[in-house]
Amino acid sequence: MIVENTQTQMRKGVLEYCILSTIAKGEIYASDIIAELKKAQLLVVEGTLYPLLTRLKNNGLLSYNWVESTSGPPRKYYVLSEEGKKVLEQLDKTWQELSYAVQTSIGDRKVK
Amino acid sequence: MNKTIIININGIVFHIEEDAYEVLKSYMTDVKRHFMNSADSLEITTDIENRIAEMFNELLANDNKQVIVEQDVKSVIEQMGTVEDFEHAEEDTKASFTDTYYNADTRRLFRDPDDHLVSGVCAGIANYFDIQAVWIRLAFALTFFFFGTGLILYIILWIVIPKAITRSDRMAMKGEKLNLQGFKKNFEEEMGSMRNNLSDFGHEARPFVYKARDFTGDFFHHLGVFFGGAAQLLLKLIGVLIILTCAGFLIFFTVGFIALLSVGYFGPFHDLPYEIIRHHHADYIFSAAFIVAVIPIISIMLLVFKGIFNVGGIGRTTGTTVLIIWLCAIGVFIFNVVGIASEFRSHASVVETIALKPTKNNIYYIKLNELKYFSAEDSTRLNIKNLSPNMKIADDDDNDFESFYHRNIRLNIETSDTDQPVLIKSSRARGPYYEDAFNNARNIKYIFNQQDTVLKFDQRFYGRNDELWHNEEVDLTLKLPMNAKVIIDRDMDRISDLRVWDCNNINKRDNDKVRSATFTMTNNGLQCKVDTLVTDTIIRKHLPADSSNIKVK
Repeated sequence: MIVENTQTQMRKGVLEYCILSTIAKGEIYASDIIAELKKAQLLVVEGTLYPLLTRLKNNGLLSYNWVESTSGPPRKYYVLSEEGKKVLEQLDKTWQELSYAVQTSIGDRKVK
Repeated sequence: MNKTIIININGIVFHIEEDAYEVLKSYMTDVKRHFMNSADSLEITTDIENRIAEMFNELLANDNKQVIVEQDVKSVIEQMGTVEDFEHAEEDTKASFTDTYYNADTRRLFRDPDDHLVSGVCAGIANYFDIQAVWIRLAFALTFFFFGTGLILYIILWIVIPKAITRSDRMAMKGEKLNLQGFKKNFEEEMGSMRNNLSDFGHEARPFVYKARDFTGDFFHHLGVFFGGAAQLLLKLIGVLIILTCAGFLIFFTVGFIALLSVGYFGPFHDLPYEIIRHHHADYIFSAAFIVAVIPIISIMLLVFKGIFNVGGIGRTTGTTVLIIWLCAIGVFIFNVVGIASEFRSHASVVETIALKPTKNNIYYIKLNELKYFSAEDSTRLNIKNLSPNMKIADDDDNDFESFYHRNIRLNIETSDTDQPVLIKSSRARGPYYEDAFNNARNIKYIFNQQDTVLKFDQRFYGRNDELWHNEEVDLTLKLPMNAKVIIDRDMDRISDLRVWDCNNINKRDNDKVRSATFTMTNNGLQCKVDTLVTDTIIRKHLPADSSNIKVK
């Protein structure tokens, strides 16, 4: 139980960072974000992404443009807002620190 | 061959097979219910719907077909994730904020038919707060000793709380999720409890020491849980108290309303007061006032029910309708109250001086007129003339609740400058305009008569039959010559504060037998005439602090 909890905690913290990083590469559609995250084995189903995107958008980190689609309703393409970029920079820094901390603490221990 | 349904997802039309539609519909209902409490519920569900529409389009294009089948819906749901997947993701977040995520708000209050001593009320409450039923039972048992309050509460709860009948009721009672997993869990628990019952034989054989240890452990565990639940229980008790208070007011207003409607009319005597409301308006105003008072009370009751027990509640349309009715009622009520108040805007008074015949020996008897006068109209209506000569109307005004209005007449007795006794009658009244106030004051009919030495004062005054009450008042000033001997009836107390009672006390007369007292008119006004037999000590004993106006003869 404790193991599971820690795992989800870790995953959750990283998830938003990854979403912001993915969007930072350029204007992107929600299902393409999921494809990237699936590749990274962070998310399994699409449904959980939408509440997150909506929350990030409402916090002013994201904005979106409507783009007409040939295969269905118009799509929302997400981009980072100015504020989002600033937040991402901070997160980058934090990640560097964390990564260093983790590397240091693992040290010589062999990780399978 | 299958039946297809045409659906429209955010403006895009699809043909879908009926069973596939059922699956999709229940999925979307679940999704909407899941995000219901989120502020962005609409946006999230629209995003999901749009994505589903897009996936359908892709599926149709890839397979080159026209109709969506159940398999398609299932694959889309798989990709999108079920509500359980969403929950899994969110529960972790919640768990990270508060270690003990307490899901009592999803519970509902039912009586527990599986675990009952009497009717399952205690077990139901215990389920609601997720504590052991025994604590609730103990609390109830204790409150039975406080004048049986617990018993009354128990009976009320027994009536109010529904019994958990279906399996889903029981699950809602225990706060379990109403989905297939929940059902499975519920069923497994039931099986488990059966197994436990069988293995309980083993427990019974445990040594006493272990039992005692378990007991103390259990005791402190349950005590902690109990205090947690007690706070919530207190909240519920306050709620019940509010509901009972509201019910009391409701009954009070209803009884008052019915009483006002049925006892609106005040008998044949058109002596004051008349009602301040025109008779045919009265019912409207009473009804409006009733609605104005009762709607908020009922709303409070329903809100408390909804807030505390999660039953009842008002729909949006009903709420709006009731609010509009309430506003209308308040409008009618205020309109009428302003109308009534405007009747009292202006003020007028009329003074009339009546010359009295001086008596030869300067003795005046002042008495209350016991007679009641009917207006010409009323005496015709009641056929007074044909009353048999031996029959009299015997109403005691003191027992009449109209006697309250005698205060609108006041009699003062003062010293006259001349030998001529006079009565100054000052009538006052109000009205919407000066003209009306003046007419109202002038129309006051006060009956006074003099028969030689006897001056008879009425204890009431009369007005026009159809007139409303306008705060009519009559001030009487009787001016009598110096040294006049004035014998005043004790009944005059009703319209004046001449101290007949005190005067008799000073003279050691029995007020139950002696109905009048003798006064003398002096420079300082009316003085009690004290018998010579009464000694000084007695006078002092009975004298009030300001004894200046009592003279010893």
